[in-house]
Amino acid sequence: MNGVHVRLRVGGESYAFAVENVLEVAELGDVAPVPGSDECVLGVSNLHGEVMPVFDLASVFGISREGAAQRLLVVEHDGRHAALAIDEVVDVAELPAPTEETESALLHGAALDHGELVGMVDVASLFRTLAGDDS
Amino acid sequence: MTDEPEFLDIFRDEANERLDNMVDTLLALESGRAGPEALDSLFRDAHTIKGGAGMLGLDDARSLAHAIEDVLGSVREAGEFPAQLADPLLRATDALRRHVEGESEGTPDLLEELAARRAGVVGDVAAPAEETPEPQASGLVERRAIRVPAHKIDRLLDLVGETVLHRRRLEHALGGERIAGDVGLSGELDSGERLFEELRDAAIQMRTLPISTITGALPRAVRDIAATEGKDVELVVSGEETELDRVILESLSEPLAHLLRNAIGHGIESAQERERAGKPAHGTVELRAEQRGGLVEIVVADDGRGVPKNVLKQAERGGSLADVLARPGFSTADEVTELSGRGVGLDAVKRYVESFGGSFEAYSEPGKGTQIVLVLPLALALLEVLLVERGRQAFGVPLAAVEEAVTAEDSLQLEGTVALELRGRSIPLGDLAELIGGAAPPLGDRAPAIVVSSGGRRIAALCDRLLGQEEVVVKPLGPLLRSVEGYLGGAILGDGRIALLLDPAALTRAKPQARKRATTAAPAAVERRAPKVLVVEDSYTVRALQRSILEAAGYRVETARDGREGLDRVLSDNEIDLVITDLEMPEMDGVELTKAIRARTERPSLPVVVVTSHSGDDDRRRGVEAGADAYIVKRAFDQQALLDIVERLVGR
Repeated sequence: MNGVHVRLRVGGESYAFAVENVLEVAELGDVAPVPGSDECVLGVSNLHGEVMPVFDLASVFGISREGAAQRLLVVEHDGRHAALAIDEVVDVAELPAPTEETESALLHGAALDHGELVGMVDVASLFRTLAGDDS
Repeated sequence: MTDEPEFLDIFRDEANERLDNMVDTLLALESGRAGPEALDSLFRDAHTIKGGAGMLGLDDARSLAHAIEDVLGSVREAGEFPAQLADPLLRATDALRRHVEGESEGTPDLLEELAARRAGVVGDVAAPAEETPEPQASGLVERRAIRVPAHKIDRLLDLVGETVLHRRRLEHALGGERIAGDVGLSGELDSGERLFEELRDAAIQMRTLPISTITGALPRAVRDIAATEGKDVELVVSGEETELDRVILESLSEPLAHLLRNAIGHGIESAQERERAGKPAHGTVELRAEQRGGLVEIVVADDGRGVPKNVLKQAERGGSLADVLARPGFSTADEVTELSGRGVGLDAVKRYVESFGGSFEAYSEPGKGTQIVLVLPLALALLEVLLVERGRQAFGVPLAAVEEAVTAEDSLQLEGTVALELRGRSIPLGDLAELIGGAAPPLGDRAPAIVVSSGGRRIAALCDRLLGQEEVVVKPLGPLLRSVEGYLGGAILGDGRIALLLDPAALTRAKPQARKRATTAAPAAVERRAPKVLVVEDSYTVRALQRSILEAAGYRVETARDGREGLDRVLSDNEIDLVITDLEMPEMDGVELTKAIRARTERPSLPVVVVTSHSGDDDRRRGVEAGADAYIVKRAFDQQALLDIVERLVGR
């Protein structure tokens, strides 16, 4: 699980996505809410002429945040795309393999990098959760 | 032999086409309807399939086609087709189809049976030559068609859709006034629009296929089902040339077969029962397809006994017949037959139709028969919608499902729920935001409501304002939001905003909540002598829409269906303050109407607004020369533009 990762911050915590799963980082523009959807769904956004579902990553991870999300991280897995609302992207860098176990099924584990704990996101598991077919 | 998959595809296409043809011909032979060329045609089809299968190394298919060919050869020599041969040959075509699709192994039993049948025909003498000379040029040469992978056509249609968006964005960026003020610019935009429309139609035609591509197998299916039921039923198919989106068409066979099974199993009575009721002994099931604008209507009607009276009563009490029949597990059959063991299953058909944003309707008359109507979009990617705004969000509702727009003044409270009283009908009324489970700031006092109907149910949804009518490209919300119900997808508007496209079926099922602030009935109608507008338009939808928009803005509205009717109204009603007319109409068109108003009425200066679907300079010139005061293009039809013009002309 080591390799180049995109490290981001959401609600004061650090998470990382493998760089091959990240399509782009964009401004969080207008998001049209989709009534009736899960509470972690912020809505849909017009991203380069496509209708992109936008998820609140803080809500997905069950963490609270101060202030609104600022950026969108567009991730891809198995041909499916999702935009995740985050606070900011910290850097794109090589991260060590996760050494710490975590309780979240959405993470491979956590890596310790310069004294900071970074949650390594399991993209396959994240997409299963987002699609609502986690079991 | 070659292993090119392309050739295999071409072969399959052709073989399936020829097999369809064989089935039709066999059915015709069996019923004695076939012409003298029927046997030759059968023989040719079997022979061509044999040749193709041999070339591609499909040995099972080749052997079976060969066996069929042998039987037919013998029949040809004997000079007569014995009717009892139809059944084994039909089974053989079924098996051959499975071979061709690569779905089954060899069929030694069938080969043996065919050999025996052939022996029966000729007494096993004079076996025909092993290789019969080619009766005609191969079908591969005859057909001048190119195979294009489906996804490439879909990509093309997507791009056409993008062009629509680009067009809207461009118009938005330029601004209506600037376009109107620059003749050169508007001319270029107009010719671009014409090109675009042609391109779109051409692309849609590639995306669609005639319904005949799936109805070919149905007479056979009906024959088999009726035989199982011991009934005599004829299927009459009409409108097979009607085109439908390939994606819809591909999955239409099953629901159609279902409806036909119901019609035969539950609808059509036994021959004795029919005779007792004074009907012809053989029942008729009609399958009719017809295009209506951007929609295709498919009707399955039988002349059977109709649904039981208690079911009709139930339908009167609760919603609609379509709803009652489509209740999961519902069955009208007194006894459960082999065919309908799991109830009518109309719920599946209804779900199918609704998944494409279509609607499902049912009508029945005791003793006369039952009629099921499926309304489907012609092409999935483009949808004509009415855009509305609620809580600063835009929503689109398929225009086909919008009956009208009204102001909610005339609402009344019934046992806690609010209903709208409209021409004697009471329609549930709710805040659009609440109906779809969203939140929005409180509505204004004179909020417009759109009346949406689906499957016989109606609902009036209150919104902040109507944005107008637009043809949008439907984009799916994507696999991650698949489980969210109530949306047909999303559309990106000219200004970059997203409009969620609401599913009329889900919307009309929503239960309006009791409102805390009681909606009082409108204050006693104050006769303010609101200006009266005459709408002359041959399209029901456009007429209804314009009436709605104008009434919502407080005008009194009269309508007429063509120029002649319009002129009669103008001559007989002095209160009409303004005329809005379509350009192209039967009887008397908009130009003639305008000229007639100017020349033949007592009020030659009556303001006339011409609305047309064409933006060509010619039309504009014709309208202006005839003396129209203003000109609106239907495509760019937005309610504010219409209201601005009307207001300016009647000086309100």
